[in-house]
Amino acid sequence: MAWVSSKYAFRSVGRNLRRTALSVLGIGIGCTLALVTESINRGRDELFARMGAYSGAGHLRVVPGGWRLRRDPRLRLADGKRDLEAARSLPGVAAVTVRARAQVLLAMGTHVVPLEMVGVDPENEPRTYRFVQNLEEGRYLAPGESGAAVVGRAVAERLRAELDDDILATAVGKDGDIEAALFRIVGIVATGSEDLDASICQVTLDDLEALTGLPSVAEVAVILEDWQASESTRALLAPRVAPGDEVLTWGEIAPEFQGHMEQDKAASRFIGFLIIVIVLLGVASAQLAAVLERRREFAVLSALGMQAGHMVRLVLQEGLTLGFFGGALGFALGAPLVWHLASAGLDFREYMGSSYSFQGVVLEPILYGDFGIWMIPYVLLIAVGATLAASLYPAWFAARTDPAVALRVAQ
Amino acid sequence: MARARLLRAVALSASISLFSGTVESFQKPPDVEAILTHLDDLYRSKSSTSRMEIRVVSRRTTRTLRLKAWSRGEEEVLVVIEEPAREAGTATLRVGDNLWNYLPRIARTIRVPPAMMLGSWMGTDFTNDDLVKESSLHKDFVSRVERRSEDPKGWWLTLEVKPEVVGRWAKIEFLVSDDWLPIEERHFDRKGRLARTMRFDEVKTLGGRRLPARLVLTPTDAEGQSTELRYLEIDFDVPIADDTFSLSRLEQTR
Amino acid sequence: MVAGSTLRIAWRNLWRNRRRTSLAVAAIGLSVALVLAYYSLLRAYADWVLATLTGPMLGHVQVHAPEWRKDRAMDRTIEDVASILDALRRDPEVASATVRVYAPALAALGEEGFAVIVMGVDWEAESRPGRLLAGAPTPRSRGRVLMGRALAEMMGVREGDEIALVGQGADGSLANDLVQVQGLIETPVDFVNRQGIVLEIGEAQTLFAMPDEAHEVVVHARDPDAVELLASKLAGLPNLAGTEVLDWQTLAPEMVSLIEIIEVAGVFALVLIFVAASAGVANTMLMATFERTHEFGMLLALGAAPGCIVRMILAESVALGLTGAALGGTLGLLFVAVTHETGLDFAALTGGGPTELSFAGLSWSMRFYPSLAAGDVGRTILAVLVTSLIASIWPAFRAARLEPARALRD
Repeated sequence: MAWVSSKYAFRSVGRNLRRTALSVLGIGIGCTLALVTESINRGRDELFARMGAYSGAGHLRVVPGGWRLRRDPRLRLADGKRDLEAARSLPGVAAVTVRARAQVLLAMGTHVVPLEMVGVDPENEPRTYRFVQNLEEGRYLAPGESGAAVVGRAVAERLRAELDDDILATAVGKDGDIEAALFRIVGIVATGSEDLDASICQVTLDDLEALTGLPSVAEVAVILEDWQASESTRALLAPRVAPGDEVLTWGEIAPEFQGHMEQDKAASRFIGFLIIVIVLLGVASAQLAAVLERRREFAVLSALGMQAGHMVRLVLQEGLTLGFFGGALGFALGAPLVWHLASAGLDFREYMGSSYSFQGVVLEPILYGDFGIWMIPYVLLIAVGATLAASLYPAWFAARTDPAVALRVAQ
Repeated sequence: MARARLLRAVALSASISLFSGTVESFQKPPDVEAILTHLDDLYRSKSSTSRMEIRVVSRRTTRTLRLKAWSRGEEEVLVVIEEPAREAGTATLRVGDNLWNYLPRIARTIRVPPAMMLGSWMGTDFTNDDLVKESSLHKDFVSRVERRSEDPKGWWLTLEVKPEVVGRWAKIEFLVSDDWLPIEERHFDRKGRLARTMRFDEVKTLGGRRLPARLVLTPTDAEGQSTELRYLEIDFDVPIADDTFSLSRLEQTR
Repeated sequence: MVAGSTLRIAWRNLWRNRRRTSLAVAAIGLSVALVLAYYSLLRAYADWVLATLTGPMLGHVQVHAPEWRKDRAMDRTIEDVASILDALRRDPEVASATVRVYAPALAALGEEGFAVIVMGVDWEAESRPGRLLAGAPTPRSRGRVLMGRALAEMMGVREGDEIALVGQGADGSLANDLVQVQGLIETPVDFVNRQGIVLEIGEAQTLFAMPDEAHEVVVHARDPDAVELLASKLAGLPNLAGTEVLDWQTLAPEMVSLIEIIEVAGVFALVLIFVAASAGVANTMLMATFERTHEFGMLLALGAAPGCIVRMILAESVALGLTGAALGGTLGLLFVAVTHETGLDFAALTGGGPTELSFAGLSWSMRFYPSLAAGDVGRTILAVLVTSLIASIWPAFRAARLEPARALRD
């Protein structure tokens, strides 16, 4: 009798095409929505990880031991060269760069600006630190250049300096003596945030080393191809760096981003959950309505000798079939949408009044949906799961039908 | 730095009186190189003690301090505040590149972290690197006589910084009197803008030398701010006890 | 048929098949309730983000001396703060007002000096819930300070230690004193934890020679949505002439972007949820109506005019939709009523996620207070109505064109 019920299920689905079509459509739309929501949720995680990493943190960063707590710019890596090599040899690396920092006083005449100057590798830095691409005037540092600096707009303003002006940088050198050097402003950066602009000053790594006398590099920043591999790649890198040096993930360097991402993850899980519940409700009510209308049919089946268990299986199988087709429809409708989301992305800029600058990072708030193999099992799970769950009560109801009562009642 | 310049000027005038030559009444342009070399060479006095008054005029108030200072070579300086009474006994000791403050009210000595040494000196318009760094007028600048000045009588010299020199000033315009005392010094920043002006006056004899006792430093775009330094007493090349420049001595200054 | 009786007949028709109608109403009602619940949570979230961003440090409106924000010079102070606070507190739109002093200084436990920022604050005002020192042990006697925990760790300072503070007064004079560290604090504001030493405002004013002066006045508004208006109103007060009065959006534009992106994302999700709910409603309606083909055929056979059938179906849909919406609305409002006062623990709600977060230099605790505006409810009900109507048009017209004989056979 088992496979009879499935044959019946299949045929009954085909019998009332409109009802089937409606059910499948309902499930399909629900699945599409769920798919789009999940894609967006994943994309949102990626957006925050991107923000965190490209704000200078990198996905991974090799820092001197003790830096995490003290953040003292004078700390240096135990063996910068070795750490750099180790970072370069990692799998899945998109970019690697090195940096060093120093507390300096910039001066032009009697105007001064204290800040943390950063010595960078001009070739690789733009790939890891987004803001340097927001040059308002001039150009970025050229590899091998000496005596050039890129400063933020607020720095230039407070110094009453302009492009091509020479500014004096004074720093405390290695042995505590005061060292000075002149830099020509070759580029001015405007990030949209005055506070950030007032803290930006980049020179080449060699220039910074010459100024401070402190050898080697202070940090190695790594950008990975897949941000989600941060933890696993860290595990790979940590044993390879010099003893005493630590590898931090972007979440540890810029906890504010990770915090927001965590919170957002929780929020998006909730939204996803809500959508699924609503989909379920829609499917359930439709199924129930359908079952109710078919009381006579079930009554006849029951009178013909079909057992309750089979009746349940019948409804469930019908549900499964509907669910499967609904899922397929949902996938067919949803996949192109998600593809569009993943390639073009959701551009939030038009909905936002202000320019997007957060935590001192100017980043395009374009959310790229996630498109991947995960979509298939996800849709199936929702479609089939929702439909089965939604069919449970109708199935039970159908099985309970007292044939005599059902047949007697005029429809 | 003011002190250094004053000392230079002092030494210069001392050397003039030694030579006992008279400045020629018809103004032949002086030998600038000689002036500068002299100033630089005579900047180095082996030691000194002095008392001075500093008056800081700011947006808000005018503050006057009276200080006593000891110095030896270029590396050791001790400054103690005598007035106002509220701050009397506060002392600053510099030995090499270390700077300590002694605060009598709380009886504590605190070392100033290096990064904080980069800013202004004791809230005045002088910067710490005015005091710490030593630019050599002769070595760091290319100089020439610009023109004659009749009121006041003297020579305007133009000093342009040599290309390889690292410093704030691209140009200095110097007005030197006929007896080779500084009258006015104008500092131009690296963009060629007048950043600050120093004026010297109240020429007196102090410590056996004839020199301007008062120096006023006025930054150009600073809303009425100025710092005035006035020497009350100076003694040059006096022997100074070794333990003067020590932390323990610092704490006994009260 | 007359409209009134149409509705009455429609209503009776609905309840003839109690089970079907109840199910449809339940489904619609629940969907509506969920949408409203989400709406209320969205509002709660927005309120919470705003409170967390502005509560501790920023406030809603800040007052400074002109140019102070550029160089933070000690002598750029606001004068006569006592009377300013008085004037501010008398304004009905102002929920609270307090002042702060910011003095860069050197702090030393032994001989080694560290660059710190001494903050003079009003203990009472800043210890209120949601403020900077909420939950911190505020000192009761003179000469006591609170120190940021990260700073204390860097300096090697422990509770009870005595440290020296040296700075510059607003008049340029030397400010120095010995203070005792009453407690180590972790505030929601990162720079306070890393560089901050918090002193009582009166003591700070004395130490830094700024009697009745301050660097910053922080105002919290009664209505967080009307902050810009409040700022311009306060700027016009005679006591505040010559000062810079700014709302938090101008002071911290990056926070604005943050809130905006959260709002946009939230609205986007809302749209998705709305669509899901509407689809559910439509599906229910369609299914319900199509299943009654037999019934309509009967009516037609009995001589009912097609137009009548259409009207009846539409009326039933409207009635069904309204009933569902009414149920959902009630449930949603109930949810908000229950949770509004006590709030929801976000972590429990979403099954995981942190209970405390560090973010944007602040750390956040996760308690939400849902709320609903009349517009939210109205919009949702309208959406349900429109969806019900639209969803029933097709079956209605189809029913009208039925051939009774065929329909009866179905």
